[in-house]
Amino acid sequence: MLHPMNMLRTIVARRELLWNLTARELKQRYKGSMLGFLWTVLTPLFMSAIYVFFLRLLARGVPMADILIGVFAWQYTTACVQGGLTCVTGSANLVKKVAFPREILPLSQVAANGIGYLLSLLVQFPILAFLLWQNGSGFSSHWPLFAFWMVWQTIFNLGLALLVGALNVNFRDTQHLVGVGLSAWFFLSPVMYNMEFARNLAASWPLAVDLLHANPLAPILNGYRDALLPSAPFDFPPAAWVGFALVPLTLLVGALVFRRFQKNFADLL
Amino acid sequence: MSIAIEAVNLGKCYAKRGTGLPTLFNAVTGGFRGKTEPFWCLRGANFEIPAGRTIGVIGPNGSGKSSLLGLTAGTIHPTEGHVRTQGRISSLLELGAGFHSELSGRENVYLNAALLGIPRETVRKKFDRIVDFAELREFIDMPVKHYSSGMYVRLGFAVAVEVDPDVLLIDEVLAVGDISFQLKCLDRIRDFQKRGKTILFVSHGLQTVEEFCHEAFLIHRGRLVERGEPGDVILKYVRSYMGEGGGVFTQEYGSREVELGAVRLLDAAGRDAATFASGETLSVEIPYVARQRVEKPVFGFSIKTANGMYVYGSNTQTAGVALPFVAGAGKLRLDLAPLRLMHGNYFLSLSVHSWDHMIQYHRREDWIPFAVRNAVGDLGLCRLDARWNVPG
Repeated sequence: MLHPMNMLRTIVARRELLWNLTARELKQRYKGSMLGFLWTVLTPLFMSAIYVFFLRLLARGVPMADILIGVFAWQYTTACVQGGLTCVTGSANLVKKVAFPREILPLSQVAANGIGYLLSLLVQFPILAFLLWQNGSGFSSHWPLFAFWMVWQTIFNLGLALLVGALNVNFRDTQHLVGVGLSAWFFLSPVMYNMEFARNLAASWPLAVDLLHANPLAPILNGYRDALLPSAPFDFPPAAWVGFALVPLTLLVGALVFRRFQKNFADLL
Repeated sequence: MSIAIEAVNLGKCYAKRGTGLPTLFNAVTGGFRGKTEPFWCLRGANFEIPAGRTIGVIGPNGSGKSSLLGLTAGTIHPTEGHVRTQGRISSLLELGAGFHSELSGRENVYLNAALLGIPRETVRKKFDRIVDFAELREFIDMPVKHYSSGMYVRLGFAVAVEVDPDVLLIDEVLAVGDISFQLKCLDRIRDFQKRGKTILFVSHGLQTVEEFCHEAFLIHRGRLVERGEPGDVILKYVRSYMGEGGGVFTQEYGSREVELGAVRLLDAAGRDAATFASGETLSVEIPYVARQRVEKPVFGFSIKTANGMYVYGSNTQTAGVALPFVAGAGKLRLDLAPLRLMHGNYFLSLSVHSWDHMIQYHRREDWIPFAVRNAVGDLGLCRLDARWNVPG
């Protein structure tokens, strides 16, 4: 009944397949281009630089470190959503001809992106360390919490990948909706700003700030910042619990929808 | 004896009227367009296949054969009923389906095996055998996008058979690859049979089905209409449904100055028959009508196997039969005595044409199916006059 538990069993039983497909995904991603893995790092670096410049233009100061953390983490989620969208439809040949647990497809997407995210941290952390050192400080003592938020984000990403992956088979226009949704979601999430910035901006509407906190990505991004940056105040208002609780709920809904839809996958592809 | 495959009231239904790609828009507006008509590509299939049997599935194109295999393999989900299988299934539905073009042959072997649920350690042990069987030793580290289609299929087949499945599903894949590889595949399938594996085998190569299978299933319009001795089922198939596409292409043409009538096949006693014993007599009674006087016409016949292999052909001219003219209705008899064809299903073609082969009056290609049964233990396509000389 509890599908995430079934999924865990699938992961254990078919771990070799999961690993094979993850490796396939990573190889495919990095084999084709000269710079390979470098692109997964360069893209968020460029984006961060653009946002910093853009916010300076608007004379709104958001620390570079906050933006860097936000953009790298945001990229992890968007990569999972976009990979999840096509993970079933893109493997039509496989799904139609071979019987295997279909969950492996979104799972391997999230696994590949998770590994990509981990690797990108190898670049992100030294830059953060440099930025902090310039300000005369170092990493926050909460840094072990970073691992927790990463797990939490991965659970969330998996839920999303399952959900959009299954929906996109049944409703091919899902990908267009998701494209629009991601753009809107980017501005509603504290990616290129932090909560302090939002609070100053929306001082007269405390409800808007509460709504921002109810976004599942908000506690995650704030959590990352709290874990690494000594200056970032970790605020966790009651509304943030909503965002926090939405993460396991997303996984549950994603797993249920995927389980329900997968019977028809071979027919609809 | 355990049951390897069991189907209970198995059925698969698709919507007949396609609505294009499934989209949210269509899902929302679908309510206004009424129900689509269901199309059952397979329905009410009930059968049990004991372990160790080889079953040939035959039927016209679009009759539901591949759906049956897909349901058994678990790639498609039944609309009603269920199918249960025992042991590991390996399907040759589409060889190399799990291959990824950017990866090397080696990487794809591991990926494909993982899809089939084979532990990496097992594959490592069998890796050399797989590569040798596929004859791809020197190309194994090349990305498969550079493989020829034959190489692709060979690697796919090698993985599928080397993983040692309990149930093997084969869907018309033996038609690919060159002759030597085909023979190797058939050899491997025989090996599977000897080791007591269960095989479900879809093929239009009726001769192959007859040769390999313990039993044949005839599927027509989604129904399992006949099962039993392969020879009998094949004969029923060719006589009832052959014209519906698939299998041998029957055709009829000609200018019809001379027209062939309703041809009868007769046994030695002069009775109508469809099955003949090897070594006995097969007589073909050929009525004709000549609409005008035709000088020196030539009547011909040819025989093909159910796989389409040309066995024998001759005509009155070659045989040196004097036939100065035909006019009006008449009747010819062709005797094949003794019938040297061996066990199997065959097609008889008949024709009548002008002496210089310029005008085809009437030709019926692969028109008349018949079966030959052999009680003696010799094997092959036709009986040769072979004598053993043992030193006394």
